[in-house]
Amino acid sequence: MEAQVQGLNIAPTSLIIIGIVLLTYFILIAWFGGFFTKFSKDVNDFFYSGQRFAWWLGAASMIATGIGSYSYLKYSQQGVETGLSSAMTYTNDWFIIPFFMFGWLPIIYFSRVRSIPEYFARRFNDTARYIALVIILAYMLFYIGYNLFTMGVALEGLLGISMYWSIPLTTLIVGGYVTFGGQTAVIFTDLAQGIMLYIAGAIAIIVGIVALGGLGEWWAWLPVTHRLPFVHLFNDYKFNTAELFWGEALAGSIAFTFMNQGFIMRYLALKSVNEGRKACIFNVLFTLPFSAIIVGAVGWIAKSLIVKQAAMGGALEGLNPIHIANYYHTFLIVVWECLHQNALVFGFVVAALSAALMSTVDTLINACAAVGIYDIYKPLIKKNASERHYLIAARWVSVIFTVVGLILSFSFIGMEGSLMSIHYKGIMLIIPALVTTIFLGAFWRRFNSKAACISMVVGAVLTFATEFSPAMTDLLIDPIANFVLGAGLLSKKYIYMRALFGMIVTALVGIVVTLVTARESDEKTKGLTICTLEDAKKIYKGSDRLNETVGKKVGQLSVEFNQSLKEDMISVSQKTMDQLKAVAEDMIYVEDQRWWLGGLRSLHTKAANAHNKSDDIIMMNKKTWENGLFLDGKKLKIEKIF
Amino acid sequence: MEKCDCKNKVMVPILIICVLLFTYVFPRFVLSNFDASSPWASYCYQYGFGLITFLIGMLLIFKTKAIKLGRGSETIWLAWLIGGFFLFAGGHAIWIYLALNTPVKA
Repeated sequence: MEAQVQGLNIAPTSLIIIGIVLLTYFILIAWFGGFFTKFSKDVNDFFYSGQRFAWWLGAASMIATGIGSYSYLKYSQQGVETGLSSAMTYTNDWFIIPFFMFGWLPIIYFSRVRSIPEYFARRFNDTARYIALVIILAYMLFYIGYNLFTMGVALEGLLGISMYWSIPLTTLIVGGYVTFGGQTAVIFTDLAQGIMLYIAGAIAIIVGIVALGGLGEWWAWLPVTHRLPFVHLFNDYKFNTAELFWGEALAGSIAFTFMNQGFIMRYLALKSVNEGRKACIFNVLFTLPFSAIIVGAVGWIAKSLIVKQAAMGGALEGLNPIHIANYYHTFLIVVWECLHQNALVFGFVVAALSAALMSTVDTLINACAAVGIYDIYKPLIKKNASERHYLIAARWVSVIFTVVGLILSFSFIGMEGSLMSIHYKGIMLIIPALVTTIFLGAFWRRFNSKAACISMVVGAVLTFATEFSPAMTDLLIDPIANFVLGAGLLSKKYIYMRALFGMIVTALVGIVVTLVTARESDEKTKGLTICTLEDAKKIYKGSDRLNETVGKKVGQLSVEFNQSLKEDMISVSQKTMDQLKAVAEDMIYVEDQRWWLGGLRSLHTKAANAHNKSDDIIMMNKKTWENGLFLDGKKLKIEKIF
Repeated sequence: MEKCDCKNKVMVPILIICVLLFTYVFPRFVLSNFDASSPWASYCYQYGFGLITFLIGMLLIFKTKAIKLGRGSETIWLAWLIGGFFLFAGGHAIWIYLALNTPVKA
C-alpha cells in the first residue's frame, strides 16, 4: 500500500528511511541542545546567556529563528503563484532600521529590561505591563501553535502520521532541550539548525535548477509576471504591494524587530549594543534576502518546470510529470521529484523542515518562559527566592508554555483558508496596539501611563471588532484604505490594512489622552526613551563618565589571580590600557581568545588601576575567572565597551 | 552631556501635516503616472513611503542625539544605514529592469 498525498507517492520502504533520518536528527539535536545545560548557572544565563555573545553568533542563530516550518510551505506556495515577489516580505524591513538600531535596541539593552512587559512596568505602570503581557503572550503562543500545526501538516502529508501524534512528538523534542538548556542551548542549536536549513535549501534549489537544465533555462521559462520583485499594487487582497507596505513592512517588521521577545532576547544576549547593531545590519541586509531565496526558490523553480513541461508537451527528461493539484504541497512535491525520489536526501530536507520549526519554536518557548518568570512568577508569586529556585521555576514555566502551545496547535486543525491567510489574519489583529504603544513609549517622552493603558485596550478591542463586523470594516478601514491606496480600486477585503487601522486608532487615542492628562515626572522616563539614552548608558555603566573613544582589542593575555581585586574587576598594564583607550572604571569585556567560541566563555568587568607587571598579564579575582567560565591555560582577549 | 533637542513644538505638527499630505497625494501621483499593474508603480509606492519612513527615523535619531557623527563608530553606522537603503532600492530597480528586458521562452 502506498501513502498518497496530493501527487506525492512515497513507497513504504522510502517512508521508513525518511522516518529514520528524521528520528536520528531529532535525537542528535536534543543531545546537542542538552550539552549546553551546564552553561546556565542562574536564571539570567538561562534566558539571556549573560550578555556575552559575539554578533555573528546572534546573527547566525537568527537565521533559523526567522525561518519557521511554515516558511517553506507558505513561500513555496506563494512563489509558484506569484513568483519572485514572494521575497517581498523579506526585503522590506530596512525602512524601520534607524528606529531600531539607534532607538529601541540601546533603550532595552542599557536599561537591562528582560522583557517587553517589564519595560512597560518601568516606563508606565503595572497595569500597562499586564495589558502588554496578554498581547505579547497571545503573539508568541500564536506563533508556537501555528508552527507546530504546520509541522504536523507536513509530517502527516509525508509520513501518514496523524497530526494528533506528529505534533506532540515534535513538541516533546523541542520542549525537552529548551527546558533544560535555556537560551545558550537555543542559540547554539539554532546556529546548527541554521546551517542545516541553508544546506537543505541549497540542495532543493540545485536539484531543481539541474532538472530544468541550468540557471539560464530557469530564468528563460519564468513568465515576466513571475520574475518581478513586486506584485500588482492592489488587485489581490491576499498579496498586494500597497497593503503589504503598511501591514507587513511597517507593522509586521516593527512587531518582529521590536516586540518579538525571542529576537529581543537574542540581542540582549550579545556582548554590547554595537554587536547588536552588527547583528541587525547583517540580518536585514544579508540573512533575510538570502532566506527569502531558500524558502521561496522551490516555488519559483516549480513555476518554470510547469511552464517548460507544458511547452514541451510532457515530462522533462529524467523526471516524472510534475502536477501540483494543491500549491500548498509545492515544496514537498517538487523536491521529491527533482531528487528522483531519493528517500535518504529527501529525509534530510524534511529534517531541515523540522529544524525550521524547532529553531523558531524553541526561541518562542524560551521567550514565553522569560516573560512568565520575570512578569508573572517573580513579581506575583514568589518575590525573593534563590537563583536556583528561579532556574527550576524557569524550566517548569518552559514546560507549561510548551503544553499551551501544543494545545493551541490543535485549534488550528480544521481552520478554513490557506496557511498564508490564517497566519496574517491572526498576526495583523494581534500586533497593532502593542507595536504602536512601544513606539510612542520609546520615542515620545510625554506619552504617559494612562495614555498607554487606554490606547492599548481601545486599539486592541477596535482592531478585533473589525474582524467580526463587516459594517465596522466599511466604516473604519475603508476610508483609511482609500486615503493611502488611492480611491476606486479597492477589493473591500482587508488583511494587512487592519494593522494600519489598529496603529492609527491606538496612536490617536494615545496622543489625545496624553495631551489631556497630566505630564509625568521626567525622572520616571530616565533611560527609557530615546531622549534619555545618555542617562541609560550611565545607569548601565554605573558611572557618570562615558568613554566612547574607540580603542583596539588586545589579545594573548595570560591570567594571574589576585584576590585583592574586587569581583568582576580586572587589571592590565598601562600599555594595554592605552591600546584599549581605557581608564580605570571603564567597562571591559573579557573573553576566551578563541574567536569561534563567540563569547561562550566571557564576561563584562570593570578596569581597575593598571598593574606594573608584564604587558601580557591580566589580573583578576578567582571568582571573576569562574564567572567567565574560563579554562585553565587558555589565553584571553579584552576590549573596552565604554 | 548632550542635550536632547526633542521639544520643538512647531516642527512636529508641521512634519505630521506634511506626512499626511504626502500620504494622500503620493499614491494618486503614482497612479497618474503608472498603470497599477506596472512594477514601477509598486516600486515607487514602496520606496516612496519607505523613504519617508526612513527619513523620519533618521531625523528622529539625529534630533534626539541618539546618533552623533564622530562619536564611537556612529559615522560608520550612518554610512551603513544610508548605503543599505540604496542597496535595496537599487537592487530592486535593477531586478525590475532585468525582468522586463531579458528574453522569455514562456
